[in-house]
Amino acid sequence: MESRVLKPILAVYVAAFLLFLYGPFVVLTIISFQQGPEGGPQFPIIEWSTYWYQHLFGLTPPSRIAPLPVGEALVRSLVLAFMTMVTSTVLGVMAAQAFRKRFRGANVIFYLIVLGMMVPGVLTGLGTSLLANNIIGIERHWYSTAFASHVVYTFPFAFLVMLAILNRFDASVEEAAWSLGVSPITTFRRVTFPLIFPGVLSAMLFAFTLSLDEFPRTLFASGRDQTLPLAIYGTFSVEIHPNIFAFGVLTTLFSFALLSVYGILMAMSVRRARKMAMQEDIT
Amino acid sequence: METTVFRLEGVTKRYGDLVALDNVSLDVGVNEYVSFLGPSGSGKTTLLRVIAGFETPEVGRVFFEGRDITYQPAHERGIGFVFQNFALFPHLTVIGNVGFGLAHGKTPVAPAEVDRRARKMIDLVGLSGMEDRGVDQISGGQRQRVALARTLAMQPKLVLLDEPLGALDANLRGRMRNELRAIRERLGVTFLHVTGSENEALAMGDRVVVLDRGRIIQSGRSDEVYDTPASPDVAHFLNRFNLFEGRLADARFTGPFGSVAAPVARRSDRDIYAVRYDRMRVLPAQAATDGPALKATFVASEYLGSSIMNFFETADGKVVEMEHHLSLGAPDTYEAKRDYILTWNPDLAIVFGREGR
Repeated sequence: MESRVLKPILAVYVAAFLLFLYGPFVVLTIISFQQGPEGGPQFPIIEWSTYWYQHLFGLTPPSRIAPLPVGEALVRSLVLAFMTMVTSTVLGVMAAQAFRKRFRGANVIFYLIVLGMMVPGVLTGLGTSLLANNIIGIERHWYSTAFASHVVYTFPFAFLVMLAILNRFDASVEEAAWSLGVSPITTFRRVTFPLIFPGVLSAMLFAFTLSLDEFPRTLFASGRDQTLPLAIYGTFSVEIHPNIFAFGVLTTLFSFALLSVYGILMAMSVRRARKMAMQEDIT
Repeated sequence: METTVFRLEGVTKRYGDLVALDNVSLDVGVNEYVSFLGPSGSGKTTLLRVIAGFETPEVGRVFFEGRDITYQPAHERGIGFVFQNFALFPHLTVIGNVGFGLAHGKTPVAPAEVDRRARKMIDLVGLSGMEDRGVDQISGGQRQRVALARTLAMQPKLVLLDEPLGALDANLRGRMRNELRAIRERLGVTFLHVTGSENEALAMGDRVVVLDRGRIIQSGRSDEVYDTPASPDVAHFLNRFNLFEGRLADARFTGPFGSVAAPVARRSDRDIYAVRYDRMRVLPAQAATDGPALKATFVASEYLGSSIMNFFETADGKVVEMEHHLSLGAPDTYEAKRDYILTWNPDLAIVFGREGR
């Protein structure tokens, strides 16, 4: 009875969800194949071409439309995202590991960490910039002040992911390793880490993607050299050409590639997780 | 008595308001097999965890081979621990599990030597040929043996077993019991074995230590504990006695079965009369007896292979069990819902009371 009503509603909901998720990307993709350099970012498509993709890489003859100034910004953003990913994941794993033992002030510290993802980004960015400029007196850079604000933002995500993973972790395998005379550090490296690796991957993915398209914090904290989201936003204020869409398609494809790598690594470690689950079943 | 390898002195461990261990003292000799028996929540597992170093006691000391190890971290103690859930490393193979301690322990062992010793251990527990299997590809009993081999590979002088047979079916349990005993004789290791099963405790241990609410309430040879439980609680945990409440006065015990002479009584805070299941005898309802006589209705019987367990119910709803060993001849058959008289030789009963000594 219930499913007869519920199922169609859910189906429509999911369809709407997928439409809103992929609709913009589909439109973006179609317009990116607009003819150039006369064609603009609108329908109808005058003629299908890969002009804007060539334009992106400087392969077209010079025209009145300047090449998209995103090359350096892209590299900057990737490096920043990578730095953030490594730092936040390491901190996240360590913090979550610390929270396995109840210690004094654990609750306060928990909320202080999680606050990093709750506080409005614009405020954090502005605050960081004021702090750097007026109080400490250092220059703002994407690799210093912006990096710090990215870590503050993504660390809670990595932390929460690892906390959830470690909550379900059966500590008796660690105790077993200790009772075999293996030190806690080696135990972490040889037992704990391999077993929580799927969680570590997820934490890394979170930190990387959140940092890659971070806007409000970076806007204030990054100083002179812009990251990718800022650079793209900057081009909007002049005039929009389909080359941005072509670029959008390429970055989305890159994201998919990244997700695939994540998926493959995940599938490999899920095999381990399943073994773990089987062992828990018999208890 | 052999020399002491291990000693607990007044160990107390609390979890908040809950007292898990209450002033526990114990001496264990070299090459001894000690079984800890007690209901769940009696502190058995906590006791093992304190000994292994996974928990630190609030009060008291733990000594091992003459050293005070109360505050020594678990990995420096050299005490083996076999977990109830085996706690194998799921990402490693059988040989990876067994060789783990050798490969990553404090004293480095060459890979070839790790391999050789791990294979020898696997052979000892009868798992040759399974070295390269994942631990999810072997059965429960085999996993248990991997857990054991992993621990024994480190050649500990003391091995703690936390209900390791609990997860196995009855058949495998029996076989593992024998194997454990054999391994122990070969390697000369002291075993401390926690169990909730009175059969296992009596069968395995040279010594049985009965725990209740964090205290040791009796400690002694298996047959001693079995024949002369020190308190009504011990008799209750052994699951071999019918316990009757009543009143002990002037060397006579008055209970639901009438008044019986009780010249020998053990001191206790309650008056309890205990009769072993296999000491009970059944008479027809009209029979006259000058001994104890307990009127009861037959409920059902259970065939246990070597014996038959008969269940009776008294007027006040208490279940009384009577065991008939089949080696003593074919069992009488009783009719359900029919009244009988249960009796026994009062000399073989165990009496506890405030009057006792």
